[in-house]
Amino acid sequence: MQGPDLSVAAFLLLSALTLGGGGGVIFSGNIVYSALSLMVSFLGVAGLYVMLEADFVAGVQVLVYVGGVLVLTLFAVMLTHRIEDIKVSNRDVGKLPGLAAALAMFAGLIAALEVAPWKLPAEGVAHEAFASTQSIGNALLGRYVLPFEVASIVLLSVLVGAVVLSRKEVAEPRVSDDA
Amino acid sequence: MDHILTYMTFIPLAGMAVILCMPRGATKAIRLTALGFTIPPLLMAVWLFANFDRTTEAMQFMERAQWIPSFNIQYIMGVDGLSVTMILLTALLCPICILASWNIEKGVKGYFALFLLLDAGMTGVFCALDFFLFYIFWEVMLLPMYFLIGIWGGERREYAAIKFFLYTLAGSVLMMIAMLALYFYNEPHTFDMLVLMDNAGTYSRTFQTWTWLALFIGFAIKIPAFPFHTWLPDAHVEAPTAISVILAGVLLKMGTYGILRFCYPMLPLATQDMAFWALAALGTWNIVYGALCAMAQTDMKKLVAYSSISHMGYVMLGMATMTVQGINGAVLQMFNHGTITAMLFLLVGVVYDRAHHRRIDGFGGLASVMPVYTGIMVIAFFAAMGLPGLSAFISEVLVLLGAWQYSPALAIVAASAVVLTAGYMLWMLQRVWLGPVNEEYASMPDVNAREIVMLAPLAVIVIVLGVYPHAVLDLINTSLTAINNTVLSAVPPLASLPLDVLP
Amino acid sequence: MNLSNIQSLPFSLPEALLAVGVVGLFLLELVVKRKAVLGELALVITAAVTCLVAMQSGGQQGLLFSGMVALDGFSIFFKLLLGLAGFGAVWMSLGSNEMRDEHPGEYYALLLSVTLGMFYMASATNMLMAYLALEFVSQVSYVLTGFIRGSRRGAEAALKYLVYGGVASGAMLYGMSLVYGLAGSLDYAAISQVMAGLGSGGVDGAVVAGAQPVIYLALVLVLAGVGYKIAMVPFHMWSPDVYEGAPLPVTALLSVGSKAAGFAMMIRFFYPAVSAYDGDGNWLTAAGVDWQSLLVVASMVTMTLGNVAALRQDNIKRLLAYSSIAHAGYMLMGFVVMADDGLQAMMFYMVVYYIMNLGAFTVLLMVLNQSGREDIEGFKGLAWRGGALPAAAMLIFMLSLAGLPPFAGFIGKFYLFAAIIRQEMWVLAVVGGLNSVVSLYYYARIVRSMYLDQPAEDAPGFVADRHNGVLVGVLAVATLVFGVWWRPVVALADRSLSFFTG
Repeated sequence: MQGPDLSVAAFLLLSALTLGGGGGVIFSGNIVYSALSLMVSFLGVAGLYVMLEADFVAGVQVLVYVGGVLVLTLFAVMLTHRIEDIKVSNRDVGKLPGLAAALAMFAGLIAALEVAPWKLPAEGVAHEAFASTQSIGNALLGRYVLPFEVASIVLLSVLVGAVVLSRKEVAEPRVSDDA
Repeated sequence: MDHILTYMTFIPLAGMAVILCMPRGATKAIRLTALGFTIPPLLMAVWLFANFDRTTEAMQFMERAQWIPSFNIQYIMGVDGLSVTMILLTALLCPICILASWNIEKGVKGYFALFLLLDAGMTGVFCALDFFLFYIFWEVMLLPMYFLIGIWGGERREYAAIKFFLYTLAGSVLMMIAMLALYFYNEPHTFDMLVLMDNAGTYSRTFQTWTWLALFIGFAIKIPAFPFHTWLPDAHVEAPTAISVILAGVLLKMGTYGILRFCYPMLPLATQDMAFWALAALGTWNIVYGALCAMAQTDMKKLVAYSSISHMGYVMLGMATMTVQGINGAVLQMFNHGTITAMLFLLVGVVYDRAHHRRIDGFGGLASVMPVYTGIMVIAFFAAMGLPGLSAFISEVLVLLGAWQYSPALAIVAASAVVLTAGYMLWMLQRVWLGPVNEEYASMPDVNAREIVMLAPLAVIVIVLGVYPHAVLDLINTSLTAINNTVLSAVPPLASLPLDVLP
Repeated sequence: MNLSNIQSLPFSLPEALLAVGVVGLFLLELVVKRKAVLGELALVITAAVTCLVAMQSGGQQGLLFSGMVALDGFSIFFKLLLGLAGFGAVWMSLGSNEMRDEHPGEYYALLLSVTLGMFYMASATNMLMAYLALEFVSQVSYVLTGFIRGSRRGAEAALKYLVYGGVASGAMLYGMSLVYGLAGSLDYAAISQVMAGLGSGGVDGAVVAGAQPVIYLALVLVLAGVGYKIAMVPFHMWSPDVYEGAPLPVTALLSVGSKAAGFAMMIRFFYPAVSAYDGDGNWLTAAGVDWQSLLVVASMVTMTLGNVAALRQDNIKRLLAYSSIAHAGYMLMGFVVMADDGLQAMMFYMVVYYIMNLGAFTVLLMVLNQSGREDIEGFKGLAWRGGALPAAAMLIFMLSLAGLPPFAGFIGKFYLFAAIIRQEMWVLAVVGGLNSVVSLYYYARIVRSMYLDQPAEDAPGFVADRHNGVLVGVLAVATLVFGVWWRPVVALADRSLSFFTG
């Protein structure tokens, strides 16, 4: 950590990547491009994690999201029948009011966050280098074991649910309730 | 006779339970059971009338029990002269209405079960001395009324039923807000109406004004006072005869009863402020407006319905005057109107049963076809017109005497409306009963024994009260004088007086 | 007491049983031949869980799993209610024709797991746990909404639910991150201390500079997440479509379970976590931030919009969806008064709402089973073609929902009104009162259809099935009894309003 300017520049760059990627997901007319933009955004987030000295989380972010989730998404997109014909992945409605609301929210947030009495670590306390994997491991199986276990049930339920939902395509669709 | 009021209220409810357990087809047994369960309350009402202490304004035959202690909700019953009169009226009209419903063929079981529920609710309203309990009884009446109009009514019954339901509920939610406001204004919080009355001197003027208005709207819808009256003609026209009788005979009285029971003793300052516009002026307008509308009707029942609006105006005017004559006249008028209008609806029902229509121009010369019927009818009509010797004459004269002391202008307007009343009554009399006989109905049978049994007691009461009004006046005078004095003597609580008035 | 992970285990038997049930049902689906057993097993599990929770009541209180969840009167109260909601949903599913062939193992396991999620929503005392529980319930609800095979309406509803849910929980997460920035901790206990340090805005009025805007923003953002769960305007848009598209038992669970869980989480966050208790039944907001005014408006708008929109609905599920939005508005009346009596009134109302709304849905289920119709036509002349008892029960539920005495719904509303009138919130009281009148119109439409309309000549007779009839009967009797003698319920609500904050 030599010059603070560099870290600010890095932060701005990474934020731009994240936000730009996100914007690409939303505004791109082609779903494949949307998926690729998502990757950019994920990478930006991973960079932000690095800046926060969360090296392990950054690695997981790249491995799981960029390597796993995104590739799966791309597979799903590519394998889906005639996906190329569908050009518009998002319809945009209410652009102007949306923009106005977003800007107002942004301005409000900036104004509020500037003056907020944040609880910050005391100045001048030396940052010890620490192994983030170890502390994460301790937290997951110590203090945060309950959320950890609950999350596993969430994943199980959602996984089974997803299987059930996708399996239904095989069955004959019922007509009765669409009438 | 320790818990006589509880018995009177809940015996009909027991009857309802019994009827619900009876087989659907046993129509005759169901009718008799229903009649059987309305007779004991009538006998108890007579006993009450005989044993009521006429010299005190205190509540009598009190019962008190805890219900929900954590919210200080109690079960309090008790009567004074005002409520005992109304209970008499209710107990009298209920068996009569059961007799008038003898011809109901559709869903007999449901009809009588609901009717008894209605009976219980009405009696409860007049007995309850805990505001919460009062409110429960008040609302309990809505449901049977909705069904009795909605299932057994005429052509546009569904519209009339829901209109009645919505109007009344709108009034009741305001009443609930006022009730809670009173509850929290008192320390310790209470719904006990006697305590609410005792503490009336501590309520500030602003508080009284708003609470008064909320309560008044709730009651005015029931009276019904202009401009909240539009549900009434619909409900009356569509309701079956017996339900019209109950509606006009008892339910309308609840509005004025509520004003006398709540607004007067609990919110006397606001009553002083509001009485002229909200009661006297509006009441007079009710008299004239109801009479004018009645003149324009072609349907007999609708005519009687509008005449009710007109006659209830006298009650409002009478109580607004805050004179002994006026307020006594008002309550006497409540009782008299209950009996007379019941007769009128029953009489209209008699021809409707036979002819299946109620058009005023659809008959003619019924006097020669149905002499006995016409005889009773003439008593009712003349009573409604306020002819001397019949009951309504006394009450209307008392009201007008009171009004004269209060505001001669209003008294003159109200008195001249008697001419309008005579106008539409005689006009209907002439069109329906006199003139050439309508051949279509030349062989219409005269009233039968059942119909005489239900009409005769009312006719007797109308005549007796015409010559001896003290039967009722003695009952109400002490209580009403006390209520009246509460209002007249009310002064703002000390805290809200201007400083220079303080010593 | 503040228990560590191992020490907490004996106190989380109900949750453990639910989790075992979830996994067990997934596995049993593979081996059991007679699938009906699975549903019955789920029924037994929900009943047992409810009993286990009931046994915890009155016992020890404390924070479990190093402050993740609380075991206190409040959480036990809601777990009881939610356990019963799960029980009701399983019971209805067993009596539902449309759910008969739909992968019973997975279906009932998901019902149990959503119940588990709701348990954690009601008891979470840590923002991470709360968020996780909310997502848990949401994710499983998406699946359950689209559970019926080949139902396009269901699939569409599930998608809509997912999209709205994603936005709402994202907003909530952002709000929570702001709270974390202020408090430096995820625990409610720590948050409440920091918030108290920021000043109460009470009599002394001293408030740390700059705290107000950020707290306001954070709370509004969190409100988006919980507001979405309780279907508060403007986060209600999903609810009519989802209620209509989801299988009926799931709709019932969403309306009585998820809403109660959402309210529980909302109360825990807005009251013990970010407000201070004055020891005398009243609460003071953190840094004197006036979020109640916002919620007063939200309450009025929610009930009005719900009621007005319900007037035009012919589909009963949709009608009940709007009615449920309106009821969220009523319950918010208890939320805005910043006093214990308001919270107690809300809790009382939730019990009553559970009874009457579940009852209404079960009668609808009976009609749906018989005629395949879920619109108002299906109720036509119900009382006159053999359905006298279901019609009578529906009448009770409708009038109770409308808030007429002598039914439990009136008492519930009465307590809510009492709470706001004690604070002299007259405008809210009048708006709430008039809304009751409006709501009567559409509830009475159903009553009219059942009683006042004659059935068509060729209308099939109605045969009430016993399974659903039992549930309807019990709920109808409860509606009546609690309308006349509600002392036990109000005592339970009084007793249960205790937050353990460590």
